[in-house]
Amino acid sequence: MRTRRIHVGAAWLITAAYILPIYVALVSTFKSQDQILANPAAPPAPFTFDNLANALARPDRLVQGGLVNSILVTTLTVALLVPLASAASLYISQRTPRVKGALLAFFALGLMVPPQVVLLPIVNLLQTVGLDRTYPGLILSNVGGGYLSFAIFVYVGFLRTVPAEIIEAARVDGASDLRIWWQVIMPVIRPATATVSIFLGLWVWNDFLNPLFILGPLQGQTITTGVYLSVGTYSTDYGQLFGIMFLAAIIPVIGYLISQREFIHGLMSGAAK
Amino acid sequence: MKLLRRKITAAVAVAAALTLTACSTSEPTPAGSTELSFLTFETPALTAKFWDDSITDALKTVPNVKIKKITAPTTDRNAYAKQLQATGQLPDILASINPKDFIDANLLTAFEQDWLKANFLLPEANNIKGKTYIPPTNSQILPMVFYNKDIFAKNNLTVPKNWAEFMSVVTKLKAAGVTPIELAGAEPWSASMPLVGLVSANVLGKNKNWIQDRYAGKTKFTDADMAAAVQKQRDLIAAGAFASGALGVNYADANKQFLEGKSAMYPMGSWFIGQIKPDQAKSFGTFMLPTDDGSLVVPFNVGGTTAVSSKAPDVAKAVAFAKSWSLSPNNLKVLIETDGAFPMLKNVKLQDFGATVTPVFTDAYALVGQENTKVSSIGWVNNDDALPPGVSDLFYALSQQLFTNGDVAAQLSALDKAWDKAAGK
Amino acid sequence: MPSARRAARRPLGLAAFAWVAIALYLAFLIYPVLQSLLMSFTDRNPLRANSNFVGLENYRELVVDERLRTTLVFTITVVVVVTLVANAFGLGFALLLNRQSLNYRIMRTLVFIPQVLSGVIVAFIWRSILTENGLLNAALQQMGLVTEPITWLGSTQMATISLCAVVSWITIAFATVVYSAALRSVPPSLYEAATVDGAGPLRRFRHVTFPMIAPGTTITVVLCLITTFKLYDVIAVLTGGGPANSTQSTAYYLIQVAFTNNLFGYSSAIAMLLLVLTAGMAYVITHLLRKREGRL
Repeated sequence: MRTRRIHVGAAWLITAAYILPIYVALVSTFKSQDQILANPAAPPAPFTFDNLANALARPDRLVQGGLVNSILVTTLTVALLVPLASAASLYISQRTPRVKGALLAFFALGLMVPPQVVLLPIVNLLQTVGLDRTYPGLILSNVGGGYLSFAIFVYVGFLRTVPAEIIEAARVDGASDLRIWWQVIMPVIRPATATVSIFLGLWVWNDFLNPLFILGPLQGQTITTGVYLSVGTYSTDYGQLFGIMFLAAIIPVIGYLISQREFIHGLMSGAAK
Repeated sequence: MKLLRRKITAAVAVAAALTLTACSTSEPTPAGSTELSFLTFETPALTAKFWDDSITDALKTVPNVKIKKITAPTTDRNAYAKQLQATGQLPDILASINPKDFIDANLLTAFEQDWLKANFLLPEANNIKGKTYIPPTNSQILPMVFYNKDIFAKNNLTVPKNWAEFMSVVTKLKAAGVTPIELAGAEPWSASMPLVGLVSANVLGKNKNWIQDRYAGKTKFTDADMAAAVQKQRDLIAAGAFASGALGVNYADANKQFLEGKSAMYPMGSWFIGQIKPDQAKSFGTFMLPTDDGSLVVPFNVGGTTAVSSKAPDVAKAVAFAKSWSLSPNNLKVLIETDGAFPMLKNVKLQDFGATVTPVFTDAYALVGQENTKVSSIGWVNNDDALPPGVSDLFYALSQQLFTNGDVAAQLSALDKAWDKAAGK
Repeated sequence: MPSARRAARRPLGLAAFAWVAIALYLAFLIYPVLQSLLMSFTDRNPLRANSNFVGLENYRELVVDERLRTTLVFTITVVVVVTLVANAFGLGFALLLNRQSLNYRIMRTLVFIPQVLSGVIVAFIWRSILTENGLLNAALQQMGLVTEPITWLGSTQMATISLCAVVSWITIAFATVVYSAALRSVPPSLYEAATVDGAGPLRRFRHVTFPMIAPGTTITVVLCLITTFKLYDVIAVLTGGGPANSTQSTAYYLIQVAFTNNLFGYSSAIAMLLLVLTAGMAYVITHLLRKREGRL
């Protein structure tokens, strides 16, 4: 009993030390500049919402605009990737082992290419087709890049566990491939879809490089690049900084807390593979 | 069937959303009005408010133009301008960039000589191959050594007249426990100040045409006088002239530390005068970085702000805005007060601006008018003496590298190589 | 609607999706890689009027470019340090928190948060902590532990250490969760069997736990490698690559060369080098670790 309590205490102490920076960022959101500097670790008393109010009252509407843009880019990227990758994966898993192997090797490259390697040609390509500096351009390059590879590998991996009889039975019933995919397979591979959506959603939301270079300064920012571009080199206004960052971070953190179980599950399936 | 319909609805929704994002990117502008983008940058002196006000002021005489302000993420707006150019979005008007980087690809519009002659004291000061891309609105001494009179008095020090005296001041300050020289070492441009001063004074002071000679291949960075000047920076580092963490200090922090009396001297561009408040002015003075023999050399730069892209949607309007911005007395007044700008307008005298300046400003401004040895601030000027594209950045970076790399000869030889490559085409 | 049904029955339906996916992937991944390869044989520069074919010139430059060498040394330092630290601490953390009560579940939840936040935000938090006048120095001075602020980002060594620490801090979160998941996949019966055989805690760890979490090690190591090799946002915010360019990863340098120096040709050669390094290393490491998994 006693050792158990000591263990809990020690575990909490170490965990607290580890997440101290996050704690500091969190409490600083609700403290004035003076309070922050006086004692960064002190709890926010008195409590203030000024930092959040100031962040939301910026004339450039950085936070609101950034959040809307980020939600748009993230949702559309995921909404396009999930059907595309799941259908392509079903198609791939039904090929002969040789073709399947070749296609998987083809898509494996996307897992290894650092985004910096392809950034410049992508920007040039988008310029050629007139989609540079646009959201469709950003979304398309998200959909076609390494994220697609990730999604396909998750789906193909999961489809291995789906018994072939399910598809056979549906075929015998006269269902088309598309119908089999949408009505039979999609419900079965829901966990894979959860993994894909959660991870891609997080990555796209947090992406920095693509929006910074593809979108540029004139089209409004995603929240991530907005934070970067708005906090000047010399800003020591911690209150404002933490206010903006709190609002930028709150959606992914809540998303994580809600979907934690699927999150871990996704990691598990990755680890098991 | 229901499922199929839902699928179609989803597809339509996605398509609609995509179109929507496409639309939201192009903000509608009122008929007949042109929207132009203006790349600015922020420093402790040039705040967001300054840029907003200056734009409003300049627009008063330029009808039917809307300005979309872009702020560079760091003070290095030249790097950001190049990044934007690389992604096909060069802004229409650009504040204080290095024109030489952009003219090879014909990206900038030159200002008419007549207009320059009619309005500026030194109309040809920013000429590159006979053309001016930045109106020569103001000038700077770059760098000058700011010093804390109180600290000097407390340690019985006087303004050093030659290099030996300067080194002895450094040693005495160090011994007294004061950081001798403030350095904003975190950013290459501000870290470059002592080196710019050393090279301007010791190399260009002896040969005003050194940079042109370098273009012609008659001089080299590995030449003995250049090596000796650069070695002086190593000597300063070795003597402990800079704080041990100098490379982590950004420009704003360095300003603050120097003004708070935490260091005794601060080589910086004359714009720093604007950071000295009237009530502090009696504690601060300036001198030129001394040469070996004590002769006075003034590293000089004619500044200016607005360059205009030749790719702007309406070049004429962009030029009109740039001219209006550059001639606006209100803008220049703020620049004089906060950015220590020495005005170079032909038709408006200093007193006519109604700017409140400190004695630090007046003393330094006197050097601009006097007959003395003025040389190009190496790595900073906007005229034919500008270094080849990209070489300024390497020169700035050298001043940081010298902290960890003592091989002066090898680093200068690398600079020679980079120069030949960049200038060679 | 018999005609519609007949149309849908054609097996092409699914293939169409597959082809769209392949087309997009060709356009936004394969084509850019090839384009990069082609560009690496030219001196293309958007600030110059025209570009020429220069053969292997850019690749010769790779060999003599000292800044590139610095970035490679830096990248490899960070990769090694982060991989070791994240795995060691991650496993330690996972073992510490490997219990079932609510307390431990909450702790496991909290520990993953650094991985959920974007690199930009994490780096801004750390920047406000580590700068000269930052929160850490303020706290240390208040406690009277130091008189002069410590320059956590101010010298080349300190900045490298700080950067490694921050990246490790992020990656520990990931490693902890992967190892926690792996630990929970160990069937309790194995421990019981080992205990019956008279194995102590250490031997149980070596012979039961360690082999069972090998897949966790593979995934953590590979991920550490890949994320560290493409490190950009944390560097951009925390140090800006400085001081004196000492904290630039190769990927960061590549972006600088491409978009700030506008040397498209040379940056493409660096891109090819980076691609070969990342792909090669990922392949070798996966291979080695898989073999180890097999042996254990």
